[in-house]
Amino acid sequence: MTFRRALAFVATVLVLSAARGVEPAMVAIPATIYRPLFRGEKDAKEVAVAAFQLDVRPVTNGEFLAFVREHPKWQRAEVKRLFADERYLTHWAGDLDLGDARAEQPVTNVSWFAAKAFATARGQRLPTTAEWEVAAGAGFTIADGAKEPEFQQAVALWHGTPSPAALPEAGAGRANIFGVRDLHGLVWEWTSDFNSALVTGDARGDTGLERQLFCGAGSLGANDRGNFPAFMRFGFRSSLRAGYTVHNLGFRCAKNP
Amino acid sequence: MKTLLALLLPIALLAAEPLPPCCRPALAMGQPTDQSLYLLDSKWTSDVGREIKLGALRGRPQIVALFFTQCEYACPILVSELKTIESKLPPEVLGQVDFLLVSIDSKRDTPAELTTFRAKRQLTRERWTLLRGEPDDVRELAALLGVNYAEDARGQFAHTNLITLLNAEGEIAFQHTGLKQDPALLLAAIEKTTQAIPRPEPRP
Repeated sequence: MTFRRALAFVATVLVLSAARGVEPAMVAIPATIYRPLFRGEKDAKEVAVAAFQLDVRPVTNGEFLAFVREHPKWQRAEVKRLFADERYLTHWAGDLDLGDARAEQPVTNVSWFAAKAFATARGQRLPTTAEWEVAAGAGFTIADGAKEPEFQQAVALWHGTPSPAALPEAGAGRANIFGVRDLHGLVWEWTSDFNSALVTGDARGDTGLERQLFCGAGSLGANDRGNFPAFMRFGFRSSLRAGYTVHNLGFRCAKNP
Repeated sequence: MKTLLALLLPIALLAAEPLPPCCRPALAMGQPTDQSLYLLDSKWTSDVGREIKLGALRGRPQIVALFFTQCEYACPILVSELKTIESKLPPEVLGQVDFLLVSIDSKRDTPAELTTFRAKRQLTRERWTLLRGEPDDVRELAALLGVNYAEDARGQFAHTNLITLLNAEGEIAFQHTGLKQDPALLLAAIEKTTQAIPRPEPRP
């Protein structure tokens, strides 16, 4: 590392630590092309993704606590079952009590509805799957993470490691080239259109997705068979329902530039 | 005078036909239950042009499917399947359930397109509600029903084919996945749901 780069790095760390605990800083992700992992014959091979802003790290317990304090209908005891299942925020001690959960950890056990409500309250939104995936595809030092062996190894490593009992702090992961952290290695994240993870060209049956994507020759339809983590995310998203809450599923916010 | 006539004539014509289930006077019934889809606050427009919330359908079971009018593949079959169900319902049950089609194609499915579709597929206003909504609201409703969808390069939507039965409270009572399934189970579920509706006691 040259002296100048080291300086820039230190400055970034300082800025980020100053921002931590307040609003998570957002960074710009430039316009790009998303190549969906799996598409039917008639589907677009390339999707244009406009420039957008993305949180540098997932939303934390502390931030979510502030949100439910201001919006009581999203507190554990108040939330309607339609919008969040029984596990909603069960890792907290009470409606407004984090208990053993730490404020800096990413919030999990939140439904898609709750995540969406949080983002809306902030005047923001959830990232689309395409946006999330292009941000997650960026390497540590180059925009195309697929061409950076070190990045590939780091991502693969996480997918082969069970979630730790206590989640690390949000924002502690290594930043990618855009300055976004923890897209890999911390928690799964909701996307606004998680329920677009689908099926074949014309979707006659509900099981088309799994059959085509995961069984035998079906995976030949995927554009990059080596991209195991993307397969995992694709499968995970397609298994979700909007009211589900999962112990290692959180979210971050996005907005238009 | 001519303009007045031009204004009044369509209204008079409309009045002759019954309003679709969405647009009849709502029955006030307190807060929806915790699992009711009628908790959704989103606004929808019916093919008769009226803006409603889904809660307007409360009080009667609804047989729901997502579709889009330009669909070339599955939706024509899906709608045919719903019509088959309609034709197989015993008369006393038929009078107690409604059919609800919601478009996932917010861009192209205007109320006018829905009207054309209604005429083409001969969906009676007495029983069928056709709605369009904003993309985010459609995404939300689909997520609740468990319908996944994505638009492909040619503007067709790949989507889960799912028929959902909502009970009178707007809770999911039964779901039937995929096309060309034996409608017997759904028919049984419909009859069960309609029996659960309290009916006025006949006077002695």
